[in-house]
Amino acid sequence: MQLKRILVAIGGSSVDPDVIRLSLTLARPAKAEIVAVHVIEVRWNLPLDAVLDPELDHGEQVLGAAAKIAEKGGQRIETELLQARDAAAAIIDTARERRADLVLLGMPYRTRLGRVYVGKTVQNVYVGSPCAVLAYRQEAPQ
Amino acid sequence: MTPPADDEREPSLEKRETLPGQKPGDRRVRIVRSGGFRRDAGRLLATDEIFDQRGPIARAWEKTLRLLVGRRLNTDAEGEERVSVATGLPILASDNISSSAYATEEAMRVLALAGLGALALTMPIALAVVAVLAIVVLSETRVIRAYPNGGGSYLVARENHGTLAGLIAAAALLIDYVLTVAVSTAAGVAAIASFIPDVHDIRVPLALALIALLTLGNLRGVREAGLVFAAPTYAYMLAMLGLIGYGVFRVASGNVPAAAHAPNPFSDAGTQALALLLILRAFASGSVGLTGSEAVANGVPSFRKPESRNAVITLVLMGAIFSVVFLGLTYLATTIGIRPDLHEAETVNSLLTRSIVGDGSPYYYFVQVSTAIILLLAANTGFTGFPRLASVLANDRFMPRHFADMGSRLAFNTGILALAVVAGLVLTAFGGSVTSLVPLYTIGVFLAFTLSQSGLVRRWWRLRDRGWQFSIVLNSVGAVVTGVVLVVVAVTKFEHGAWMVILILPVLVAILYATHLHYRDVHDALVLQDLDLPIPELKPPAVVVPVARIDRAALQAIAFARSISKHVKVVHISTSDASADEFRLRFQRWAPHVSLDVIVSPYRSLVVPLLKYIDLLPKSDERPITIVLAEFVPRHWWEWILHSQTATRLKAALLFRPHTIVIDVPYHFEDTADLARRGKDK
Repeated sequence: MQLKRILVAIGGSSVDPDVIRLSLTLARPAKAEIVAVHVIEVRWNLPLDAVLDPELDHGEQVLGAAAKIAEKGGQRIETELLQARDAAAAIIDTARERRADLVLLGMPYRTRLGRVYVGKTVQNVYVGSPCAVLAYRQEAPQ
Repeated sequence: MTPPADDEREPSLEKRETLPGQKPGDRRVRIVRSGGFRRDAGRLLATDEIFDQRGPIARAWEKTLRLLVGRRLNTDAEGEERVSVATGLPILASDNISSSAYATEEAMRVLALAGLGALALTMPIALAVVAVLAIVVLSETRVIRAYPNGGGSYLVARENHGTLAGLIAAAALLIDYVLTVAVSTAAGVAAIASFIPDVHDIRVPLALALIALLTLGNLRGVREAGLVFAAPTYAYMLAMLGLIGYGVFRVASGNVPAAAHAPNPFSDAGTQALALLLILRAFASGSVGLTGSEAVANGVPSFRKPESRNAVITLVLMGAIFSVVFLGLTYLATTIGIRPDLHEAETVNSLLTRSIVGDGSPYYYFVQVSTAIILLLAANTGFTGFPRLASVLANDRFMPRHFADMGSRLAFNTGILALAVVAGLVLTAFGGSVTSLVPLYTIGVFLAFTLSQSGLVRRWWRLRDRGWQFSIVLNSVGAVVTGVVLVVVAVTKFEHGAWMVILILPVLVAILYATHLHYRDVHDALVLQDLDLPIPELKPPAVVVPVARIDRAALQAIAFARSISKHVKVVHISTSDASADEFRLRFQRWAPHVSLDVIVSPYRSLVVPLLKYIDLLPKSDERPITIVLAEFVPRHWWEWILHSQTATRLKAALLFRPHTIVIDVPYHFEDTADLARRGKDK
């Protein structure tokens, strides 16, 4: 498969740096574009476009760190910060809008539950994605 | 929590786009921030993207600048720009070490005036200079101990003797740093001229080019400058120690080399009697070798941790290296019988090297080239010291604020450029002659030494902390010795040029002090003592819109004026009654609801009647007059000259008028083109 655009979902977990490095490795042969996305999930009791300062700060920090890792790896990536009710739906819609060929997700897990439960975001992206999905599974630090 | 509608928001870099999802409940909001800024703990952080230039000329200029000066450095990188002992030695001690290249010659040139026999006194004078240096080095270690954050003589004198003494020390050091650059560059060129005689005729332009090169190196930042120059300093030390070792071996083994002859040597008999004053003058000239020893104490913050320890090690190494090289060269020059050149066509060091290793040998060129380079490095000490001291003075508001601003490479660009310009002027004025420049040198440094040493004596006496007795003795001896040398240098060199420094020094102190008074007045006038003071509610301003003709620029300015106040008056100046009437008619037809004053100016002046009109309008702090200027901005900068720039002239004229606010409403040419295009589309 010739990759032209990879959408990387960044959740702000310990697995993010490795996910970005993996995306660089995958993008390199075909010089594919990388778009890193971070989704802030907005609770139903708040308007969708509510200004959530701490979450915005965290989101930008996470995306900034991803951009830095990519720059060190020799590639400039595009970053996108989103607010949505459901992260999986936002990732799927962005992948469709951007015509991504691959969605790459980080999947940190703790040993006890990690073997049986992948989390609803990963599961829903798997089910609804318009393109290939790759989940990078890694044990989260205790 | 819900963000307000766009036209009700305060200015923001954040834009929110709501995008539809596949299902109705899957809408998402994309948060778009304008390029170059990102959120960082509740603040906006300007990233290096903000320097991305748009126009081709701006882009080319930025590329050239980065090529010459290097990429921009983040303030966090300041720690990385610090130096170790190995790199600090070439940066901060090269001035002192390199003085060994011409200190012997300067002493010999004075003694030679009394005939060749007097040259025998060169060695005792060199020993006296080294003894003074030892005292200075020991005393300076106390300065580093007492003031680990640097600041050197200025800070020590200011804290212990008061502001005036501090300013005298600062002014003396500033002058000295300028002269360091001028003298060292001139001496470096002299070293080159010794083996390439044709260079002698172009010594001033060559020296200026070398100053420009050093300026560029320093604009790149201290660490890179140190790395570039470290190797030549060590090469000089190697060259000199090798030369001295071989020379002493030849002398000790009875194979004393024959002295090489200068093109125009001093005569055997001499022209002056060997009086005490002449000996003191020779000592004063030789003590040029003591210059630069203050740079280490001034530059303590440039060192890596532990700063004080690294600075002391560098200082002691510097003293030891200088003493060995200076005494070795002096011993060999006097033993072999070198006679300095009357017209500075060839240096004593060149003659000495030729005598020991032979004319044209590769080692001769190694010595000469490394000497020339280390003398340029010595000039670099001025580039390290001057900007740092100027930044300290600027932070204390004795020098313009720009001197405290760091450039893209964490260097004090204003200080570096100011030093380059002044040093270049001094060097040109003295025709690039080392002997003419040397009398101006050393006064500043010894004045600063004396003030800082005596300041430390007062400090130890006041604090009486552990080991104060030893420190007070050391600094007292240092103060007396450097004070005596100061008097000797000032008296013996007065008529040879030292008078200029003695004259400039108080003028510079007065300028520094006057600058401080200005900043103090401005601070008093601006500062908000009480932060409980509420922001006053002002009445909408009375607005005057000068309009030359009815056009799109005027339309935009009037529209803006009406958005900030109901009280808008349009003023038009005509040069004849007919044009005034015509304008009134057209304007009343176009904007009958806007108040208009038409002024007829039969003397055809536009700006003066308008300024007089504004002056006569009633205004106060509560209700200042606001002038809204319509300014047409052409598409390209070079088209600017085709327009009258009345708005620019008015802005300049109105800048200093009290109770007057000037608002410029630029009208860009692109907007007109867009309008025309939009008109066609419709």
